[in-house]
Amino acid sequence: MANDNQEKDLGLTLGMLTLRIWLAIRAIQSGVEKFAGTGTTAKAVQIDGAANEYGLTEAASYKAYAFSNYQGVPGPLYDKFAGEPLIPGWGLDLYNIILGPALLILGFTLLLGVATRYTLFAMGLLYTSLTFGLILIKQDAGVAWLGTHILMIVAALALAKYNRFAILKKW
Amino acid sequence: MLTRRDFIAKGTAGAGLVMGAPSILKAGPAGTAQDPIRVGFIGCGKQHEVLFNAMVNIPGIRFVAACDIMKMRLGRTFSAIKGKFDYNINRYFDAEEMLDKEKGNMDAVFVATPDFWHAPHTIMALDAGYHVYCEKMMSHDINEARDMVAAMDRSGKLCQIGHQRRSNPRYRYVLNELVKKNNIFGQIININGQWNRALSSSQDIGMDLVDNPKKHSMLPSPEVLRKYGFDRGADRELSEKELWHRFFNWRFYTSLSGGPISDLGAHQIDIFNWFLGVQPKSVMASGGRSYFKDREHFDNVMCVFDYDTPNGTARAFYQVLTTTSAGGGYYESFMGTEGTLEMSEREAYTNIYKESGANNGDVWNEMVARGFLKKEAVGQAAGGADAIASYESAPPDKYALPGGLSKPPHQPHIENFFDAIRGNDKLTCDARHALESEAPIYWVNPSAEKKEIITFTDEHLHT
Repeated sequence: MANDNQEKDLGLTLGMLTLRIWLAIRAIQSGVEKFAGTGTTAKAVQIDGAANEYGLTEAASYKAYAFSNYQGVPGPLYDKFAGEPLIPGWGLDLYNIILGPALLILGFTLLLGVATRYTLFAMGLLYTSLTFGLILIKQDAGVAWLGTHILMIVAALALAKYNRFAILKKW
Repeated sequence: MLTRRDFIAKGTAGAGLVMGAPSILKAGPAGTAQDPIRVGFIGCGKQHEVLFNAMVNIPGIRFVAACDIMKMRLGRTFSAIKGKFDYNINRYFDAEEMLDKEKGNMDAVFVATPDFWHAPHTIMALDAGYHVYCEKMMSHDINEARDMVAAMDRSGKLCQIGHQRRSNPRYRYVLNELVKKNNIFGQIININGQWNRALSSSQDIGMDLVDNPKKHSMLPSPEVLRKYGFDRGADRELSEKELWHRFFNWRFYTSLSGGPISDLGAHQIDIFNWFLGVQPKSVMASGGRSYFKDREHFDNVMCVFDYDTPNGTARAFYQVLTTTSAGGGYYESFMGTEGTLEMSEREAYTNIYKESGANNGDVWNEMVARGFLKKEAVGQAAGGADAIASYESAPPDKYALPGGLSKPPHQPHIENFFDAIRGNDKLTCDARHALESEAPIYWVNPSAEKKEIITFTDEHLHT
């Protein structure tokens, strides 16, 4: 069933779609990266065209994804937040658990067009919560970067009436 | 119960009866992936943890028992094995009891106890029929180290000493390929080695337990510490705090350890002797209690060994500092007429340089072309207003080894021990070869104390 408020303007419709895709990919990949880790391989050093007999190895690192790598709040940031009196330890631990899944869920719902307005609003709240932490540890560049995200979310909300290609358009 | 003093007396007497028995460096077949080598631990302190962590990824072994006089350490080892492998080990407070009760259930033991217990534990384990991996130094007393060699000979069991660089692929590669086969450094004339350690890493340990009465129940009782000889060398009855201090800080006491030159220097002076292939002719040393004035051992020691090698004479300077960490960490530097090797267990401290006027430049080029070396940088003159160019040598080119070690540093040495037990390899540092290399180290402190050059004779160095 079509949204009663939906309007037709090809340019604004594509603009809204572009914003949705950008914000969705941004959230999904940020969530996926929470599961990224680094592995290393060691291969035998070649001498005279053959593997050396001493066991000398050349190490190479590679990126890998696994559930066991999950870290919602990156380690260095976690340590800084842990020292902030306005962030309780239990809150930080809870945030550390939910941040990755929250980014993934919001990203996918936005990409698929499930309750796009509420999804955008929830995403805005999530980025605002991140902004709060960065303000505390005086990461002004990060605050500005998240502010840009907020502006894009506001723009998407403003263009919501041009939202198409969505599974659940009602909200 | 056998005391350490009783044990040494009996062990030495017994050793005298079997002098001349052959040293067996390679044992017969024992232990496979299906029939694992059964391992026990004597001593569950810090060094034990290093060894344990280096062997958790080695297949074909099973841990069966551990022994320590401190219940907390024993529990930690038990939990680590339970957590990692999901099986239980037997726990003992007394090594002799463990060796007796585990007969038929254990093949090899790792001795990581204070230096003054290395010889008694190693000898009793060898005589009980176990293969032994013992941490270096072999002992704080060269005669007890000699007793260990004798015990290895008479028991026919393997005795690996923990000079782990001897099994390190990087060290073995450099010695065999760069020094021996291709002689790229030319005549090695000067050697430098050092281990510089900061004050922050040289402080008393265990005092958080000793100074907190609520935690005294976690510590071995004074009676236990006296029974196990931690009061050795004291001229009066020691208080419980003094005993506990000795228990944790045995490295500071002359009757319990060889001091920093033994703790830190032994690894590196061993490399001097191993690479040169000869024992030194003399040692001249200086040391002092410059900062830790209450400690029995010198906190800083410097020494010079003189060598007479097949290629000519050479000198080796070594310093161990426990008051300053700056100056490049720990390394052994071999300075030859054609190039210099700065070798270290840490890859970051390892560098290779070719002299600007090296006569064997074609050999270096060939080594690079065949993959034996990597060329990193062409020597660059420093320049600047303060450079007096006519006085300076042209800068050397910098090279690097083609690879490194992708395991904990102790793992290859432990693997070598297990391979030798299985009959697949020879020990890289059996007790006799270890003592040949360690023997000169025992004379550094006496030289520093007497401020005399000690010229070595067979009396000093025999094994």
